Amino acid sequence: MKVLIIEDNQELARNIRDFLAREGYICESCDTLEAAKEKLGLFQYDCILLDIGLPDGNGISLLNLIRSEYKDSNVLIISAKNSLDDKIIGLEKGADDYITKPFHLAELHARIRAVYRRKNLGGTSIVAFNEISLNTDTFEVHVGDHLLDTTPKEFDLLLYFIVNKNRVLSRQAIAAHLWGDYTDNLANFDFVYQHVKNLRRKISAAGGVDYISTVYGLGYKFNSHKPE
Amino acid sequence: MKLTTKFTLWYFGIMLVVLLIGGYIVYYEIQDKISRVEVVRHQRLNDLIAEQVRIGGDYSNHPTRKRATVAPIPADSVPKGVSTYYTRGIDWNPEFQTNEYRLLVTNFYLIKGQWYRITTYSFIPSFYQLLPGVVDSFKWILLLLLILVIVSAGLISKYILAPFKRTLRVIQSFDLKQKGAMRLPVTRTSEFLELNQFLEKMTDKAREDYQSLKEFTENASHELQTPTAIIRGKLDLLMESDIRDEQAILIAETQNALERLSRIHSSLTLLTKLENHEYEADTTVCISQLTRETLNSFEELIQLKSLTLTTTITEKVNVPLHPSLADLLLTNLIGNAIRHNEAPAAFEGDAKGVSEVEGQDWEKGEPGFSGGLIQVSLTREGLVVVNTGRQPQVPTIELFERFKKGNSGSDSIGIGLAIVRQICDLSHFTIDYQYHAGFHCLAVGFSPRVVASKLLQNLSLPLQDRIKSGWPKAN
Repeated sequence: MKVLIIEDNQELARNIRDFLAREGYICESCDTLEAAKEKLGLFQYDCILLDIGLPDGNGISLLNLIRSEYKDSNVLIISAKNSLDDKIIGLEKGADDYITKPFHLAELHARIRAVYRRKNLGGTSIVAFNEISLNTDTFEVHVGDHLLDTTPKEFDLLLYFIVNKNRVLSRQAIAAHLWGDYTDNLANFDFVYQHVKNLRRKISAAGGVDYISTVYGLGYKFNSHKPE
Repeated sequence: MKLTTKFTLWYFGIMLVVLLIGGYIVYYEIQDKISRVEVVRHQRLNDLIAEQVRIGGDYSNHPTRKRATVAPIPADSVPKGVSTYYTRGIDWNPEFQTNEYRLLVTNFYLIKGQWYRITTYSFIPSFYQLLPGVVDSFKWILLLLLILVIVSAGLISKYILAPFKRTLRVIQSFDLKQKGAMRLPVTRTSEFLELNQFLEKMTDKAREDYQSLKEFTENASHELQTPTAIIRGKLDLLMESDIRDEQAILIAETQNALERLSRIHSSLTLLTKLENHEYEADTTVCISQLTRETLNSFEELIQLKSLTLTTTITEKVNVPLHPSLADLLLTNLIGNAIRHNEAPAAFEGDAKGVSEVEGQDWEKGEPGFSGGLIQVSLTREGLVVVNTGRQPQVPTIELFERFKKGNSGSDSIGIGLAIVRQICDLSHFTIDYQYHAGFHCLAVGFSPRVVASKLLQNLSLPLQDRIKSGWPKAN
């Protein structure tokens, strides 16, 4: 996947680039509207990460151009302003999703994958890994031939793990993913623990491999090569 | 007390004192004047009698002698340097057959080498007879003055205080968030002019300060997000590098602090936005539907904590509230009820020194406590959320303040209820929070007329009944 990062903060852009590069994505970044227009004119991107506050203008203005000229690209807005208006305007102008700083990189990745799935898989919405397959339309999980009885949160969690496989996912990132922005009341990591525990139990019971492991002190990891 | 009333009362007091002193003066003046006039009259009479004596002849039946005594006296009994004196006192008046006030005037004359003492008297009105007249007239004066003061105080204060009242009206309608400067009416009264100038200067300053504070908050919220995002990203990347266990702990602790920072930050930003009225309700929202949706999204958590949920939701309750705020309100209220929920057994045991249920390591223990209760009741009047939990360490009313926590050990930041209250204040909802016998009861009244505490009494009754009938068994 080719990703263009339009972000004026070099450090943040590098974080995103480093993270996504490990997924095998080809990332390019630029820090102004002008540079972005230039790059968009030269290359085709699958996904554009667009910061709203840019030194030479508002990122929203670029949305119009992208929507009229480069219809195939997914646009994900990155904004420091957690303002409702921005969110609504951004989505109305044709952005595919909206993420607010400060975000977890794994969350950003999950969002990129989600918009990519919605647009580019031509209707099939199956995310599969070895014997596990998830249908993002029907919210069904199959382990081999077994249909897994999962709750919506467990489905979300499993999808999050598979998208970010082989990565350490902190409890904070998982909590933020499952319960959203205002998690003050609920960022109780006990709940994360419970969900992960239940999910592992269900997969194992259905005969699947227990890919999820605990990372000491940090969180969890979905291992594609389970060390036995 | 009104300014006018105060003025009137003071004037009345001063008038009373002045009139009392005045009455005293008038009383003695009249007394003195009457005596003087009489004395002069009698002196003239005495002179006349002396003249008669000088001329000689029989005047014994003359009208001048009716109340006169003429007595020849030896020269040595004539007082030195005094030719006239008078005395006053009560004496018998044979004409009226009553004791009356008598004025007696004595003069000494040297007629043809012989000293005569000529004394005449008359009965004059007694001073005590004068007193009621004086008092009466002063009573009328006082009454007249009082009416005048009251009427004039009303009229004059209306005229003089008019600019002051206008200023008051303008200040009352002053809003820190208003765009233009506050304009006060022009007045010729220098004190009011000074007051107005001061007020204008002060409100301008307050408005500027408010604006710059608002700008600062907005900038801070905006500018802090990027560095926080960078730190978070770096930690995410660091986590995946090859690290030792102790380094992992360091990262985890950093992440916790960062999480907290970002949560506090976003909550404060939200509160600021609420204060700035960024979420104005232009339509009504169906709170029944939203409550059900929120409860659904919390369903798993309720199950995880093995809580028993009872709901009574009235259909189609619409309230004027921004949808995002309604969502926030419900999420915070119900989320709190779940998060801070503990079965009575958990904290009753606490008192007896039985091992702590809280603070378990997430790695090992079973965090779910069984037997907790939640009750959510929604009616047209309001919403009541009741949950079991341990007694808060501070009075419940203080929990609405920012960064106040019922239990200092918990890792929440203590801002959820501040947000709830802010939303209620903005929407003119009433809110009440009570703790009673292991139950946290939180009520939101949808109309300013509905007092939330009243709501609590009505709606938490079914739950109170449940206490009496015993606790439901833990599953």
